[in-house]
Amino acid sequence: MKKYNRILAIGSLVASLSIAFVSCDKSISEPQRVGYTPASIDEKAGNWKTYVLTAPTDVTVATPVSTSSSTYQAELTDLKSKSASLSQEQQEAVVYWGAGAVYRWNEIARELCARYNIPPASTPDGKYPVPDAANPLADPKFPFANPPYASRALAYLSVAQYDALVAAWSYKYKFNRVAPSKVDATVRVALPVSALPTYPSEDAVVAAASAVVLKAMFPGEVPFIEAKLAEHQNSRLWAGMNVASDLAAGVDLGNQAAAKVMARAKTDGMSAANNQAVTAGMIQAAKERGLTEVWVSQETPARPPMLPNFGAVSTWNFDKTTLLQIRPPAPPALNDANYQKDMAELQGINKSQTREQARIANYWADGPGSYTPPGHWHRTAANAANEAKYSEVRMARTLALVGTALEDAAIGCWDAKYYYYYPRPQQFGMKTSVGLPNFPSYPSGHSTFSAAAATVLTYIFPDKAADFQAEAVEASTSRVFGLIHYRFDSNGGLDHGNKIGTYAITRGKADGSGL
Amino acid sequence: MKTSLKCLTIASLLMPFAAQAQMPNDAIYMGKNQLCVAGMYSHTSWNQYWENTFKRENFNIGTQTTQSVMLMPAFGISKRVNVIMSLPYIWTNNSAGNLMGQHGIQDLSAWLKVKAVQTGGFSLNAIVGGSIPMGNYVASFMPMSIGMQCRTFTGRLLANYKEKRTGLYITAYGSYGWRSNTKVDQDAYLADNRVYNTNQVSVPNTYDAAVRLGVLRKGWQTEVWAEHVSCLSGDNIRRNDMPFLTNNAKATSVGWYGKVQPRNIGVNARVGYVVDGQNVGQSTSYTVGLLYQINFKK
Repeated sequence: MKKYNRILAIGSLVASLSIAFVSCDKSISEPQRVGYTPASIDEKAGNWKTYVLTAPTDVTVATPVSTSSSTYQAELTDLKSKSASLSQEQQEAVVYWGAGAVYRWNEIARELCARYNIPPASTPDGKYPVPDAANPLADPKFPFANPPYASRALAYLSVAQYDALVAAWSYKYKFNRVAPSKVDATVRVALPVSALPTYPSEDAVVAAASAVVLKAMFPGEVPFIEAKLAEHQNSRLWAGMNVASDLAAGVDLGNQAAAKVMARAKTDGMSAANNQAVTAGMIQAAKERGLTEVWVSQETPARPPMLPNFGAVSTWNFDKTTLLQIRPPAPPALNDANYQKDMAELQGINKSQTREQARIANYWADGPGSYTPPGHWHRTAANAANEAKYSEVRMARTLALVGTALEDAAIGCWDAKYYYYYPRPQQFGMKTSVGLPNFPSYPSGHSTFSAAAATVLTYIFPDKAADFQAEAVEASTSRVFGLIHYRFDSNGGLDHGNKIGTYAITRGKADGSGL
Repeated sequence: MKTSLKCLTIASLLMPFAAQAQMPNDAIYMGKNQLCVAGMYSHTSWNQYWENTFKRENFNIGTQTTQSVMLMPAFGISKRVNVIMSLPYIWTNNSAGNLMGQHGIQDLSAWLKVKAVQTGGFSLNAIVGGSIPMGNYVASFMPMSIGMQCRTFTGRLLANYKEKRTGLYITAYGSYGWRSNTKVDQDAYLADNRVYNTNQVSVPNTYDAAVRLGVLRKGWQTEVWAEHVSCLSGDNIRRNDMPFLTNNAKATSVGWYGKVQPRNIGVNARVGYVVDGQNVGQSTSYTVGLLYQINFKK
């Protein structure tokens, strides 16, 4: 009888425990970023080297009226009325945008990448329709924001923000118009005020430049982007940080700079990146070099490979000759000893993947519905710069260096992938716990992206070098744990990414920032 | 150990009446100090699913199959208060594509069933249940994952009318299911068309309602049932995307359940078919179970 009482006791215990464990809280906490006074306002940034603009004078800004003029005084009165009392919603907008213009627009861009990162479905006749930029919201949506697409969108965003801010810094110190709250101490400010001149507004510069790039990259999101642009500008009035003419001049400058950056985008070769006609020659060439079995799509119906000609897109930090020079060495021949060793590792994982291996594979998967590995590293870079209390222009420089390295990594990696046309482990019986990308195996894109970004971040934040390097190695290994890459794919990608990153560092060291 | 085995054997041989297995969704009760242990095998498969409201097939999945074996003891504290527990081991696989099957121990459930009102053939029953994940399985690798890695709590009100002479009965119930947040391996994910920068995922709560019509006689039972299970909130599977933990899953199913248990040993079986749904597979499922009843009265 005692035994059965025990069973009963255990039963009721479990029942009551499951009730006790239940709390009604279903809220979700996300890390919050708030505004700060920059560690340095980088007053010399107007002389930093830009990517696309040849000089800040490539864009023009109207000479501002004097702060003693009646026009300015009228703006000040208007500002005081707008910032005097804020609704809950307005306060939230002030805090949100106060975390940083570059930071928030980078975050918005990552979110757009995630929303659009989904491969098109096949049609009943077994074809995959190509997304149409002229009809972005039809099925399939334009764009398919896959990793190369995301790397490029984020690179252009970061470059436009950086070039526009360098020009803005130049004009800020040319005109030297102080913050409204320094003209009139009765202006109520909701955010820290630095010594940085406010004409043109750096927030408006970033908002306008970002909106131009993102509207081009995500044409179905124009209303969403315009609403963000308007809210961002308004938040500066609500916060008492800028008068209307600071913002108008900033929008004007941001638009001009971004237009010049987007002119490069129109001719960088992206329009031919998905040219499927080039694959026959690539396959032929890989076979002639001795590859016995080429990569084939493992999807049913077979999906055309992702952006086979992306390797021909213009690079940022090195030229096409260098691209070929640093291309990773050939992977092992199928079935040689090195191949067999790495295949045996996958067979072992396929049989008994540990929970820790699965966790690492999942953490770094960054597959459909995510902002992709380039987005992941943009987030890492933006968070590091935010924690270091970087000024807007230095934050933009950080993301431009990392962002261009990430697009260069995508270009270099895609070039190598389609040059070698190497088969995936799935062609030899492996399953996957993360989903299988639809392009050749060697080298691993995650590894190239991660090493490139970690190399650049190590240069910018030497104190965190060990963290970034460890993350890059883990991201690289995650693809082995997820069973979609051989170990030599990952190692080849890491080496390649490290090399790519150093070109961004060379640029950074020579950009006049002294950083 | 030997003594208790002997004790169990004697108890079962002496069982003077038809035994009755019972579930958290019926009005059948074990007598005081009676234990029924059910060992069950389930097989669920689908080759079409609803992506939001769009019904489709997927050649990269083919037929998705989920199988489980489960141990389900039910114990009578009194003839009006029963405790039921279950612990399944689950494994999944696909007939096509290259997604890795998952397997493992899932969640431990416990139910408390109370016959609150009994007048003539009519009874009103209150049932509460909870579950806690036991295995450290991956929840987010859907549709391969074996569970959602969240704690649940369910409150159910069940009404039953049984005609004494014929054994004809009708049962109806409705439940509210609370589900805790879950944690995923990723530290950012997309849901409701926005990115959440966290590893916490809000899993929607659920409700369900069912009617069951059948005959319960000494030693056997047969019934047909219809059931609707639905989330109270959540987002939809995007076009050509994988399902996620936040999805608003809905399913309406019909099926049959039967049991034969002339003595302490019996068998039961259940078949079900999803006739309509959203963000779920159109699954056909069957369960077969072996029941073993023990009377602890000495």
